[in-house]
Amino acid sequence: MRQPPINTIADDAIKAWKISAIIYISILWIIIVAGLVISIIFNFPLWYTVIGSLISGLLHYLFVYLLPKVRWKRWRYEVFEQEIYIQHGIIIVSRTLVPMIRVQHVDTKQGPILKKYQLASVTISTAATTHEIPALLEEDAASLRDRISALARVNEDDV
Amino acid sequence: MMSKKQRLHPAAIFFTLLKTIKELVFSIGVIGFLAFKDAGLIYFLIGTSVLILAVVVFSALSWYRYTYRLEEGELRIEYGILIRKKRYISKNRIQSIDLTQNIGHRIFKLVKVNIETAGSGVGTEASLKAVKLEMGEALREELKTVQKPIENDERNEGTNYNLPKQKITTKRLFLAGTTSGSIGILFVIMTFLFSELEQFIPDSYYENTFQTIISFSIIIIAVLILALLLILWLLGIAGTMIKFGKFTITKNNEELFITRGLLEKKQTTIPIRRIQAVGIDESILRQPLGYVTVYAEVAGGTIEKGEDFSTILFPIMKKSEVDGFLNKFLPDYVSNRNDLIGLPENAKTFYIIRSTILLLIALIAMLFFIPQFIWVPTILLLICLYMGLLRYKDAGFRIDHEQLTLRYRVINRKTIILFHKRIQSFEKKQHMIQKNASLATIKTSIVSKFGTGKHYKIKDLAVEDIMELTSWYSYRD
Repeated sequence: MRQPPINTIADDAIKAWKISAIIYISILWIIIVAGLVISIIFNFPLWYTVIGSLISGLLHYLFVYLLPKVRWKRWRYEVFEQEIYIQHGIIIVSRTLVPMIRVQHVDTKQGPILKKYQLASVTISTAATTHEIPALLEEDAASLRDRISALARVNEDDV
Repeated sequence: MMSKKQRLHPAAIFFTLLKTIKELVFSIGVIGFLAFKDAGLIYFLIGTSVLILAVVVFSALSWYRYTYRLEEGELRIEYGILIRKKRYISKNRIQSIDLTQNIGHRIFKLVKVNIETAGSGVGTEASLKAVKLEMGEALREELKTVQKPIENDERNEGTNYNLPKQKITTKRLFLAGTTSGSIGILFVIMTFLFSELEQFIPDSYYENTFQTIISFSIIIIAVLILALLLILWLLGIAGTMIKFGKFTITKNNEELFITRGLLEKKQTTIPIRRIQAVGIDESILRQPLGYVTVYAEVAGGTIEKGEDFSTILFPIMKKSEVDGFLNKFLPDYVSNRNDLIGLPENAKTFYIIRSTILLLIALIAMLFFIPQFIWVPTILLLICLYMGLLRYKDAGFRIDHEQLTLRYRVINRKTIILFHKRIQSFEKKQHMIQKNASLATIKTSIVSKFGTGKHYKIKDLAVEDIMELTSWYSYRD
């Protein structure tokens, strides 16, 4: 685990993450706008909404602009003959080793946002844990899935 | 011998009947309450008797329809009143057969047979509610591919004298009860019950009593509390005695066989190849006395109500006896537990901060708001500081060929012995501050009961040590 894994995930992952972050943050904005309207109608003090929008602004910057980039930079994976090596995490960096003989099944999945950019995520499950590589190009995800599933087809000792 | 259809013992009708009535009693009660109001008592009585008759008929019919037989190496169960169901379980797929006797069973000399396969899920694959004891044992014999010991008290004592076997002594059992730590849990339950009870006592009565109590001196209250604690403690002892009474573990070829329970007699089979890890638990109460609990993580199977996630291999033994015990039952799991690689010096700060930070904040807050009670968090802080130091001191690991020993403490000190091929994944986590200090946290995952994972974490190991662990675990190179 001295060296980080070499493969990065798809560049468009940043865009996909930005969109989902915008969806979540916009809920916050809607609440703040609603608060502003109510405050004006009922003559409540306005400084609540000012503080609220400052916080939302900060969160907006963090989750929409900063974190997707950092997250993308951190996300690495590498598939070896006998094991899968994954790195992720922004504040806490995790590096995980999953031996091929422990892999139970591999899935690819795709939500509407990932579909927009022709991306898919790969989920690797062992008997005890699941690991996800979040955004790969569709064809990469499919070939990775097939490759892992082929490599995992070794005779397993009893669990 | 059992290829013809068999029925459960007729007492099963009775058991189903009782269970159904127990489930119905609440709704009947509610309806009865309403009926009294509207003076429809006669309809209620008619309704109830019809219902009870229906339940009796239903219980009898379902008993009549429930048949089992052994045929072509399969256990074939047919059941269902309107929709007939058939369940065939192949002998090879059966992971374990447990025999349980509760008090009802013991009166009639019956036993409940639970059959488990590898499929995960809640509830057993097949459960024969009540069969004759001899029948249950014969069934177990038939269904096991491996020959098993017949563990029926003194009757067959002579036949298995050469199998490794260990029983719990009453003295030890009593000690296990006294240090069970169930006092705490019972105390919480009692407090909860009392706080609920309060609502039902009329206010005037309550106030009078309160006045009387206040007029007593504080000493009497203290005595009352002590008496209550003593009762709770005795209940804890009784609980342990009932649960682990007559605890016996036997090894037969590739299986461990555990019998326990005073009131409800439980017999469990653990195939050794399904054991994922063996743990030694030193509870905070037992550690100073030098006693430990040995348990195992077993893959697959099911979790029944009130059962623990880990399987207890022996409830209490002296620390020095552990190696002998493991040598006898699970020789692979003997390890050099006392010679671990610990944490580096600079990890100590992390451990102290982690265990005291919340209380420190509380302490400062109290200093501002209610300084007269400052001694409460101060004492707690000192306890936590001590726990933090203990956690730091106890954490460690060791590699011996394919065997890995991990030790950590949350409250109890736990030592886990596991093997390379049992570890499902290995993870290293590191945040910025840890990185500067050349420390990181590791997490290994194994399979445990119910098809879920069990994860062992050791925080703040030195990065060089983690390198060693990683290269031990990695399949590369």
